[in-house]
Amino acid sequence: MGWRLALRPYVLIVPALLLTCGILYPFGLGLYYTLFDFSASKPQPDMVRFENYEAVFTQEAFWNSAWVTVLYAVGAAAVETVLGVTVALLLHRSTIVGRVLEKILILPLMIAPVIAAIIWKLMLQPSVGVINYLLRPFGLGGVQWTDTPTGALLSSIAVDVWVYTPFVAILALAGLRSLPTSPFEAAAVDGAGWWYTFRRLTLPMLWPYVLVAVIFRFMDSLKVFDIIYALTEGGPGDSTVVLQIRAYLEAIRFQRYSFGISYTIVLWAVVYLAAMVLVKHLGKIQRKAAEAK
Amino acid sequence: MSTAVALRGIRKTYGKTTALDGLELEVAEGEFFCLLGPSGAGKTTTLKTVAGLEQPDAGTVELDGRDMRGVEPYDRGVAMCFESYALYPHKSAYDNLASPLRSPRHRLPAAQARERIGEIAELLGISALLDRPVGHLSNGQRQRVALGRVLVRPARAFLLDEPLSHLDAKLRQQMRAELKAIGAVRRTTTLYVTHDSVEALALGDRIGVIRDGRIVQTGTREEIWYRPYDTEVARAFGRPRINLLPGAVTPAGGFRSADGGVELPLPAPAAPGAQTLIGVRPRDLTLGEGPGHELTGTVYVTEVLGRSVEVTVRLGEQHVSLVAPRGAAAGLRPDDPVRLSVRPENLMLFEADRPERPGRRIGP
Amino acid sequence: MTVRKRLLGWLADAALILYFLFALFPIAWMVILSLKPTNQLFSTYFSFSPTLDGYRTVLGDSEGIPFVRFFVNSLVVSVGAVVLSLLVGLPAAYASARWRFKGSENLMFTLLSFRFAPELTVIIPLFVLYQKLGLFDTYVGMVWVLQLVTLPLIVWIMRSYFADLTPELEQAALLDGYTRKQAFLRVALPLVKPGVAAVSLLAFIFAWNNFVFPLILTSNEAQTVTVGALSFLGGDRPKYNLTAAAALVSVVPPLLLALTIQRYLVRGLSFGAVKS
Repeated sequence: MGWRLALRPYVLIVPALLLTCGILYPFGLGLYYTLFDFSASKPQPDMVRFENYEAVFTQEAFWNSAWVTVLYAVGAAAVETVLGVTVALLLHRSTIVGRVLEKILILPLMIAPVIAAIIWKLMLQPSVGVINYLLRPFGLGGVQWTDTPTGALLSSIAVDVWVYTPFVAILALAGLRSLPTSPFEAAAVDGAGWWYTFRRLTLPMLWPYVLVAVIFRFMDSLKVFDIIYALTEGGPGDSTVVLQIRAYLEAIRFQRYSFGISYTIVLWAVVYLAAMVLVKHLGKIQRKAAEAK
Repeated sequence: MSTAVALRGIRKTYGKTTALDGLELEVAEGEFFCLLGPSGAGKTTTLKTVAGLEQPDAGTVELDGRDMRGVEPYDRGVAMCFESYALYPHKSAYDNLASPLRSPRHRLPAAQARERIGEIAELLGISALLDRPVGHLSNGQRQRVALGRVLVRPARAFLLDEPLSHLDAKLRQQMRAELKAIGAVRRTTTLYVTHDSVEALALGDRIGVIRDGRIVQTGTREEIWYRPYDTEVARAFGRPRINLLPGAVTPAGGFRSADGGVELPLPAPAAPGAQTLIGVRPRDLTLGEGPGHELTGTVYVTEVLGRSVEVTVRLGEQHVSLVAPRGAAAGLRPDDPVRLSVRPENLMLFEADRPERPGRRIGP
Repeated sequence: MTVRKRLLGWLADAALILYFLFALFPIAWMVILSLKPTNQLFSTYFSFSPTLDGYRTVLGDSEGIPFVRFFVNSLVVSVGAVVLSLLVGLPAAYASARWRFKGSENLMFTLLSFRFAPELTVIIPLFVLYQKLGLFDTYVGMVWVLQLVTLPLIVWIMRSYFADLTPELEQAALLDGYTRKQAFLRVALPLVKPGVAAVSLLAFIFAWNNFVFPLILTSNEAQTVTVGALSFLGGDRPKYNLTAAAALVSVVPPLLLALTIQRYLVRGLSFGAVKS
C-alpha cells in the first residue's frame, strides 16, 4: 500500500516526462552529430571527434558572430531595461493619459518578432520608407538604415527594443504596484526628495522584478534569430550574423549539419552559463529584497 | 470503554524540523478529547495523521483497533474541520455543506440531504447564509459553515482544529456551551484541538497537553488542574496564572523563598537544600485571616475583574496574585499592609525550572 | 512648487505619449500601407485613395501564395500544440506543485532550460530526423516541435497556480469522501480555471508567433502565417501593400487574445516568477 502512495506523483508526470524525452532526443542526437562530419554531401559521415568544435573556435567568422551577438544582446537588454523601467515609472503615476495608454502597452509584444521585423523593414526602406520621408524636413532624407554595418545592427536592436520594451515595462509595473506603501509614506513625512526616494527606496525594492525581466531579455537576445533573419539576413556582409543566424547558414543553407549544430551547442553553453550566473545573482537579490521588506 | 483512536509512537519530520516526536495518544469511544498546546506543538499534524492526510515516518494509527496504514483518508470515515476552514471558495455555503452528502461514500438522496443540511444550519445559526458564496461570508460565518460540513455526515470520529478560534468573544462562549450538547457530537468520538486552556477545561472529558511533538500529560480537567505534570502545564491553565515562588527546602524540612521573605510548610517531602518552586493558584489565596498558613505583605496593585478583584501583593521581593470577592478587597490602596492565608493542601511543590526543561511537580 | 509640479506632470505625460507614438506608429503605418493601391505604392505617403484590394489579393491567394491555408495551418498547429501541452502538462504541474520529489524537480528544470535553449540546437537534428520519419512539413511534426514553446510555459505557470492553492482544499474533499482524482477534478481544477484559460491563450500566442520552427521544418503543406507573410517580400517586384496586409492579418489573432488576458500576463510572461 505504501509504495502505491509513493508512486502516485510519478504516474502523473510520466506523460510529460515522455514528451520531454521526445524533445531531448533530437537534442542528444544533435550533440552526437557534432562528433561527425555529417552534411548533405556526406550522408555516411565519419567520426571526427572534436574537430567541429576546433573548427568553430579557430574560424574568424565565429568570433565575429560572437562579438555581434554580445553587442546585440547587451545593447538590446540595456536599452529595453532603461526604457521599460522609465515607461513603468511614468505609467505608475496613473494619470488619465497613463491609464488609457497602459491598456495598449502590450501590443508590440504580442506581434510575432518576424512580423515586427517585416513592418520595420518596410518603414526603414531608404528610398520609399516612411521614416526617411518623415526625416526629410530635418535634412536627414537618405539614411541607409540597414545597408551599413552599424546601421543594420542598430536597426535590429531598435526592432528588438520596439517589441520587447513592453515586456520589461509590464514586469516593472507589476513590481511597482506590489511595493509596500509605508516606507514611501515615511520618506514623504521626512521630506525626502524624489531622487533620494527613487534611488534609496524604489530602485532597490524594484530591482528583483527588473532583474527577472533583464534575465529573460538578455538570454533571449543572445539567441536572436527571427528579427535579424527578416530584417537584414545577417548583412550587409557579415555585420549582423549573430550566432543562430550563422548556425542557420551553415546547417540549412550550406547543409553542413554537424558544423552548424556545433555552433548552436557553443551558443547553448554560453546561454546556460549566463543563466547560471544571473539566476544565482537573482536569488541573492531576492533574498535581500525580502529582508528589506 | 473501547479505544476509538490510538496513536502509538508517531514520528513525523519535515526536513530538519520534527513535528511529532514519538507521540502517544488514546481516545476512548464517544469521548470528547481536547488536545491543548501552543502553536507549533504538533496539534494540526496530529489531526492530519489521524485523518490519513499525513503519513507518519514511524508509529501506527489505529481507528477502532484497526491499523490504518495504507488506508486512504476517504476510507477512514473521519470528518475534519480545518483551522483554515478549507471551504470550497467557488461554491455556496449550501454546496459546501452538501459536499460530503454528494460524495460516493456518504451519499444521501437530495431530499434527505436538504433536510439534514437544514437541521445543521439551524443548529449553527447559518440558515440565512446558505445561498451565499463562501467568499461573501465573515470569518466567523465561514468557521460555522466549516463546522457544519463536519457535523452534517456520520463519522467514526470528528477531528476539530480550533473550530471556534475565529468567532467573536460572545459567539465563541455561546458555541462553546452548545457544541457538546449537539447530538452528533455527544454520540461521536471527538478530538478537539485548541490553544485556549479555558476552552479545553470547558469542553474536554479529558485533556491532553502537547508540547514539542509529544504528549506531556493526559487527564481529566481535575487531574490537569490539581496535579499538573510540570510548571509549564501549571502555567497554561488558569487566569490569573498560578503563583510560583522560587526558593529552597530548609534543613528543618520547610520552604523558604529565595529572598527569605516567605516561609511555608512543604506540601510534599523533598531533600533539604533542593531548589524548588512553590505553586499556589490565585483563587486558593484568601485575603485576610483564614484557615491555614498566614503570610503578610503589601498591596502592589489591584484590578477589578467584574465581581471579583485581582490583587497583586508584594511578599518580600516576590509578587503574588490572588482573586478576592469585590467586597473583601474594597478600599485597598497600593502599599497598604495585608494578610493572606493559604491552606497547606492547596500548595504544590515543583522542581526549579531549568533552561532545558520546565520544573516537574514533586508533589503532592 | 505646485506650478513646477504640474509642469513636470505634463512633461511626464508628454514623454509617455512620445513612447506610445514610437510603439503604435508602426502598427498604424501598416494599416495605411495595407490600404494603398499598388499603383500609388511608391508615389504617396499619407494621402492616397484607400482600397481593400491588398486584403482581397492576400486572402484570395492570387499571388500564388496560399495565405488562407497558412492561416488555417497556424490555427491547427497552435491549437494542437496547446491541447497536447495541457493534457500532458496539467498533471505534471499539479504533481510537482503538491509533491516536491526529485524526478519532478529535474523535469521542471529541464523544461525551463528548453525555454532558454537556442532553437536551432533542436531543429537542425529534427530537420534531418523529420525527413527520415516523414514528419517534415506535417502537422504532427509541427505540434511535436512546438512543445518546446508551449510545454515549459504551461507546466511552469500552472505549477505556480497550483502552488498558490492550499492543499487543505483537496484534503477537505478527501475527508468529504471523494477520491484523489475527484478532489483534483472537482476542487483544484475549477479553482485554477482562469489560470488555465490565460496560460492556454498565451501559449497559443507564442506558438502562433513562432517563426523558426515552420521556417525550417515546413515547406508548403504545413507552413504557417509567420513564414507566409515573409514570402510576400520575395520576388522581383516589391509588394509592400500585400506584405502589410498579410502582416496585419497574421497579427490579429494574437493581438485580440492578448487583450483578453491582460490581467494574467505578468505571471505568464515571467514564467510564474512574478505574480501580480
